[in-house]
Amino acid sequence: MTLLHNYYESASIILFGIGLCTLMLNQNLIKKIIGMNIMDTSIFLFLVSKGYIAGRSAPIITENYQGVNAYVNPIPSALILTGIVVAVSVTAFLLALTIKLYESYGTVDLEEILKMKGDDHGVNNKLPFS
Amino acid sequence: MELITSFPLAEIFILFISAFLMPFFKKDKHIKIISISFLLIAFILSVFTLMFVFQNGPFYYAAGHIDTILGIQLYIGPVEALLSFVFLFVFILVVWFSFSTIDAEIQENRIKLFYIMVNLLAASILGIIFTNDIFNGYVFIEVAALTSCGIVVVKETQENIKAALKYLIMSTIGSGLILMGIAFIYAFTGHLNIELIHQVVLEDHETFQKSLLITVALFTAGLGVKSAMFPLHTWLPDAHSSAPTASSALLSAIVLKAFAFFLIKILYRMIGFDLVNQFSILTIILILGCCGMIFGSLSAIFQKNIKRLIAYSSIAQMGYVFFGIGLGSPFGAAIAVYHMVGHAVTKSALFMCSGLMIEETGHKTIDRYKGLGHEMPITFALFTLGAFSMIGIPILPGFISKWYLSLECIHLDKLLLIFVVLSSSLLNAVYYFPILINGFFGIENLQDKEYRSKKVPVKKTIPIAILILAMILIGALSKNILDFISPEFGL
Amino acid sequence: MDDLILKKVVKFITPCIQLFGIYIIMYGHISPGGGFAGGTIIASSLVLQHITFGKNDMHFIFRKEMALKLISFSLILYSLIKGYSFFGGQFHLPHPPVGVPGNLLSGGFILPLNILIGLTVSSTFYIIFTLFSNE
Repeated sequence: MTLLHNYYESASIILFGIGLCTLMLNQNLIKKIIGMNIMDTSIFLFLVSKGYIAGRSAPIITENYQGVNAYVNPIPSALILTGIVVAVSVTAFLLALTIKLYESYGTVDLEEILKMKGDDHGVNNKLPFS
Repeated sequence: MELITSFPLAEIFILFISAFLMPFFKKDKHIKIISISFLLIAFILSVFTLMFVFQNGPFYYAAGHIDTILGIQLYIGPVEALLSFVFLFVFILVVWFSFSTIDAEIQENRIKLFYIMVNLLAASILGIIFTNDIFNGYVFIEVAALTSCGIVVVKETQENIKAALKYLIMSTIGSGLILMGIAFIYAFTGHLNIELIHQVVLEDHETFQKSLLITVALFTAGLGVKSAMFPLHTWLPDAHSSAPTASSALLSAIVLKAFAFFLIKILYRMIGFDLVNQFSILTIILILGCCGMIFGSLSAIFQKNIKRLIAYSSIAQMGYVFFGIGLGSPFGAAIAVYHMVGHAVTKSALFMCSGLMIEETGHKTIDRYKGLGHEMPITFALFTLGAFSMIGIPILPGFISKWYLSLECIHLDKLLLIFVVLSSSLLNAVYYFPILINGFFGIENLQDKEYRSKKVPVKKTIPIAILILAMILIGALSKNILDFISPEFGL
Repeated sequence: MDDLILKKVVKFITPCIQLFGIYIIMYGHISPGGGFAGGTIIASSLVLQHITFGKNDMHFIFRKEMALKLISFSLILYSLIKGYSFFGGQFHLPHPPVGVPGNLLSGGFILPLNILIGLTVSSTFYIIFTLFSNE
């Protein structure tokens, strides 16, 4: 029952699972990046739901201060903003690398790319744990 | 006195500023000077910090003198001061070494980018070490992950891009797990400061036992990916072997350790020794550490590429660190930190030697290195000393950490684990000794071989020689170092 | 793209988007928004211009090398200002006046910091866009 009452937390954990599975199991690089974004977004949902308190307003004081109990917790929002910046930069970096790989290999499928041998320098790929 | 407490923040600060100063300069020479001079200033500040901590004990520093609950706090104890000192020392020597080798390895227009990345990496590593606030730590971890991918991909070959992509994908999985762990711990404690979380956790850990377990598991998996814990290490050999020599030295010697140290902080300072020992997490870390020690060495035996061999050896050595963490005793954690210090110095020296060997012979496979001890005696002698430390020859730091780990196993009545340490040590010998023996005694193969040059300039080997000297010093002063850092863990 | 309507509309709409972005940056400390949000809005206007008028026209307005220098400059200034308030707290250096809550000139260092973040973010996003536009 408690699981059903915590809508935000349940939803964010389910989304986290979806994102993590997409990131780990899909071989398409673009899908991997999408999975990473879903995963990060689920964490943002989790954190922002922790900061929200029903019936309170945003902590912006314009005219008069109404006491601590009138406002929601602003710290999770600040954390999420930082998290979004980080996620954006990681996504941009990943996409740039993907484009570079696509230019040199002609595919975005990671399995095929790993099978293709690049410029070989005595690398032994067939042995265990390599 | 007051002034010195702000030095740790100043170190992070000037390194960030130095990285942003570089785009204004055009010549590579100026950029190199900026990079090393700011690293030197940071190093001098870290020396003062170390001396201050040695005399006055650990201290807290609140950035901007804001309340602990609101602001970001730094905690500088003996371990933090020592690690920052050693890491900056290695950074300076690797950057010095890179001056002579980086031009040959990467394109000319990428050199500026490389030094920007190195200084950003140094700043973020210091941030990870000093911070006492987990979210701040997360931000620094992300900066470190991006910049360490950056210094892999500056050399734009297919292999590098592939390795960097693999590394970045694995490390985004890791950072996602860490951020979820932070969200969990913020949800049930309401704090981000490690000390405050520790107080809350000590008071009501019984109400949220399971959430705490999930949090610890998330942090362990997330930081385990980034610091190459055994089954999650698959990105490491590619990334470390394909990167430019200076980058691989930095990645292997420093970046892995910073993440492992953050794990020590999370487990032992945030949760606490008594509570962590109730979970099964530590046993899992211990077992994975053992597996890493054995399988890392086993796979290194089959490698033919020297940089790949050293990269696999890194996995084995990180196994020792996780072994120390997983023992669950304060002394185990202290040895893990000691091993980080010793390995940081040794592994960077080994990577730099291998870089010189590849550069001078033009070959990357170890069967071409027969008789190399006669061709480039200084470099090969330094390589031998580094390898001796990895194998565990007495006095050198590799031996001392293995010795104390075995003693701690006896102390904790886990006798079976001694065999793991011993067999791993033997396996280390199996893959390092053939290189050394062939290098010194494989003269008969020398006749029909043409080496491009007879000698390495002494200038290039000075940084490596200093590192090896520092390694011997760390081995000789092991008692003092362990005495210095063990009060941190409550001994 | 060679479309007269598009070009006319973009010429008209770009200043509006940029003004809105500047508004969000300037009022970041007293209302929702801030440097990051405003910076992305300004960057979107730059991207729109790039798409409509092409790389060559954009070269006169906003070059990549200039953008890199702008980013570095604003980051250095940001770290210096932030460093003043970080290190200054220990030695009790004078703080900027807080001002009346709700006024534009209030909140100490937050306004200049927001402006610097806005500059950084808008140029960064534009550079990221140019990485992916193949022309």
